[in-house]
Amino acid sequence: MNPSKPFVTAAIAFSLGLCPALSSAQSAPVVDMSAAAPTVAITGGKLLTITHGVIENGTIVLSGGKIAAVGTADSVKIPDGAQIVDAKGMTVYPGLIDSETNLGLSEIEADDASNDLVETSDEIFPNMHVYDAFHAETEHIPITRLNGITNAIVAPASDDSLPGQDIFIQLAGRDRDQMILGKDVALPMNFSGEQRRRGNGGVKFPSTRMGLASQLRQTFIDAQAYAAAKAEYQTKLAKWQKGDKKEPAPTEPKIDLKSEALLPYLRGEKPVVLAAYEGYEIEVDMQIAQEFHLKVILNHVTHSQEILDKIAAYKVPVIVGPIYDFPAANERYDSVFTLPAELSKRGVKIAFSSAGGSSGNPGGFERNLPYAAGYAVAYGLPYDEALKAITLNPAEMWGVADKLGSLDAGKLANVVIANGDPLDVRTDVKQVYIEGHAIPMVSRQTRLRDEYSK
Amino acid sequence: MPAGSFALAQSTPPHDIVIANATVMTVTHGTVEHGSVWIHDGKIAGYGATVNAPADAVKIDASGKYLTPGIIDPHSHSALNNDVNEATSPVTPSMMMIDAFDNRDKALYQALAGGVTTELLLHGSANMIGGQAVVIKNKFGLSRDAMLFPNAPRSIKFASGENPKRVYGSRGQLPSTRMGNFEVMRQAFEDAKVYMAKWDDYNAKVAKGEKDAVKPAVDLKLEALADVLRGKLYVQIHCYRADEFLTEEAIAKEYGYKIRAFHHALEMYKVGDKIAPTGTAIATFADWWGYKDEAWDAIPWNAVMSMHQGIRVALKSDSNDYIRRLNQEAGKMVRYGGATEEEALRMITLNPAWIIGVDDHVGSIDTGKDADLVIWNMDPLSTYARAEKVYIDGDLFFDSSLSGFGTTHFSGVMHDASGNGNDDADGEGGN
Repeated sequence: MNPSKPFVTAAIAFSLGLCPALSSAQSAPVVDMSAAAPTVAITGGKLLTITHGVIENGTIVLSGGKIAAVGTADSVKIPDGAQIVDAKGMTVYPGLIDSETNLGLSEIEADDASNDLVETSDEIFPNMHVYDAFHAETEHIPITRLNGITNAIVAPASDDSLPGQDIFIQLAGRDRDQMILGKDVALPMNFSGEQRRRGNGGVKFPSTRMGLASQLRQTFIDAQAYAAAKAEYQTKLAKWQKGDKKEPAPTEPKIDLKSEALLPYLRGEKPVVLAAYEGYEIEVDMQIAQEFHLKVILNHVTHSQEILDKIAAYKVPVIVGPIYDFPAANERYDSVFTLPAELSKRGVKIAFSSAGGSSGNPGGFERNLPYAAGYAVAYGLPYDEALKAITLNPAEMWGVADKLGSLDAGKLANVVIANGDPLDVRTDVKQVYIEGHAIPMVSRQTRLRDEYSK
Repeated sequence: MPAGSFALAQSTPPHDIVIANATVMTVTHGTVEHGSVWIHDGKIAGYGATVNAPADAVKIDASGKYLTPGIIDPHSHSALNNDVNEATSPVTPSMMMIDAFDNRDKALYQALAGGVTTELLLHGSANMIGGQAVVIKNKFGLSRDAMLFPNAPRSIKFASGENPKRVYGSRGQLPSTRMGNFEVMRQAFEDAKVYMAKWDDYNAKVAKGEKDAVKPAVDLKLEALADVLRGKLYVQIHCYRADEFLTEEAIAKEYGYKIRAFHHALEMYKVGDKIAPTGTAIATFADWWGYKDEAWDAIPWNAVMSMHQGIRVALKSDSNDYIRRLNQEAGKMVRYGGATEEEALRMITLNPAWIIGVDDHVGSIDTGKDADLVIWNMDPLSTYARAEKVYIDGDLFFDSSLSGFGTTHFSGVMHDASGNGNDDADGEGGN
């Protein structure tokens, strides 16, 4: 049997019907999410549901952009008129979620004109909004989604202590409004040597971790004072409005965008993503977060082996990695590879991202997200936990578990069909659906391949 | 962990070892299920369903395991303590990487644990003509001299494209364009020809018995360039773009040297049919792309498409990270272009061995070759594969079942050059 055959028809229909300009080796196809999503029944595949086990020879029905039904072949009724996709011999799983990327903030890393990664004139920029720079038409997104990644956090680069607020996206849409599912969904708070101002232009404050910590505390104290001043104004205003108004009205405090941006985080309404690598950095960063009652997601923790029990005791989720971060000299070769397993064993909810680490290069290719999860399995992480760490766990961490992260009726129809285990490097992804739309399995790279294969 | 606690006695390995009951992936002669490999005095003495080893051979039961030749990385900058680029002149052919080689760098250990047994340690790509490489066997824990690959051919690193023009252009120097890049190279070879002519003239006079012949001065730089023209050095060229492969081949033809391999070579798929007849190989990435302008047209099918166009293809790391899992990079070739498992494995064993010029000794499981072998917990092309035991010249250098580092010959303290092992550790001449 030719495993790619069931998809040929759909791909041709798409290229003829909706995408007439496929011959150019330039930009990737545009997917308009406002068009009606068809009713599709994917039959015969091995369904990795995440929430209720593996269903062999399962059927999943996508309708109106959502999952309408999931189950064994004999338990799911296929609606009349549904397009049938034969997934016999295939594995079907929910779209993968990457918990930290720079998608749309950088096209060619070495080309500064294409980078909108982070403002570095200050260390405290909670008022920077990734949605203001997000380039929806980046070529990185079509290339990434072809490997089954359907959703991602986009974060600023980590050069600042508070570099700005993240967005949560889906990797399809004709413009940024269709792609951005959530604005200002989280605030990275970075605490590693990287934020120290020791650049080529000379040293300035904060040039040490003492400076970074002090500056962060002052920032949150200022924001608390700002919140108090606003509350006081509201009280005075209410009193004034009820009174005889002979006194002049109270003066409204001047809007301070930085403090204003921090208010939802001080109220614990949204997560702060604390990024640190070394155990002692995590302890300092957590101390600050606890002082200000922040809702925390930990990030990286790649050199925290000596405080894993303490991390577990924090009872916060962890984006672990990159697991390709290098062990320190005189550490065992697998001391970072085993970290996801060690955290998971301690009951920590983990997620993975494709973001790079403390030592520069590792990470960076978003499409390879599932392989990090797979490599963690090689070093002891249970397979189901690895899969959850790129599906349901991040969906819960980013507050979208009602819509994403598993094959369950009612969730968005972000579904992937592949010819094998999603975590294995040899597996080929055959079809990706985002909100029920069959994504053309075409990118700038497949077009170059096809042009030069003629 | 206390330094030195893993110092094991450096006993000589047994004369005869048989690794039995493994799935033996020979690379050259297919895969033998439930096969054995017989090691005699550090060489492969036989392999197959059965072997004729003496009765007292030490038997290693590898039931359920996979056995492959050691992985070979034809492009590494590990263990050079960040002395990768002598970026003070675009032509530095007399730089010897062996003079920066630090045999206690942790990157060597981490690569060993990933099954890497041979590495070509190259100069960086800041210069059009960089320095001369060193070839090592990854016998981590042994002395510098004991880690050198015996009698390996000499290689020299050339570069092209963005890195040289950026490094020198940013200083207001030549070259700042690809035109400048190639002209700097031509000038270097013209200088070398004059130098060679002087020496030829002198040697001819001496041969004729002319007593008053004046011996020319020895110039290390020109001597190295002359050795390129004399065909004594394997030329390894950092090169990304299709047009530049063609230019490099034209210059090589003009000056009469051969190019052993293009490194990176991300656009080879565009002109593979034209390059194949030259015999030049490539050492490429599996799926890196887009990090710089000249990597913008990179596609993950490049390796397999180039292979089908007749190019000898190797995968390489250029990274202290990826060198630890080149087996997975090879696994990706099964997906991107449909390489067979043997073709994929050849890209990290026999083909890089050819690029380095040591394929007579390593790179496959063949009788007479060095017993550089890796025992894997499962098919090495799987995401879940781990190197369990690594043998070099029949001697066990890594065993993941041991506590501590898992090393058998290392004691003391590892060094840490920091950085990621790309050749842009100093911000110049990146990949």
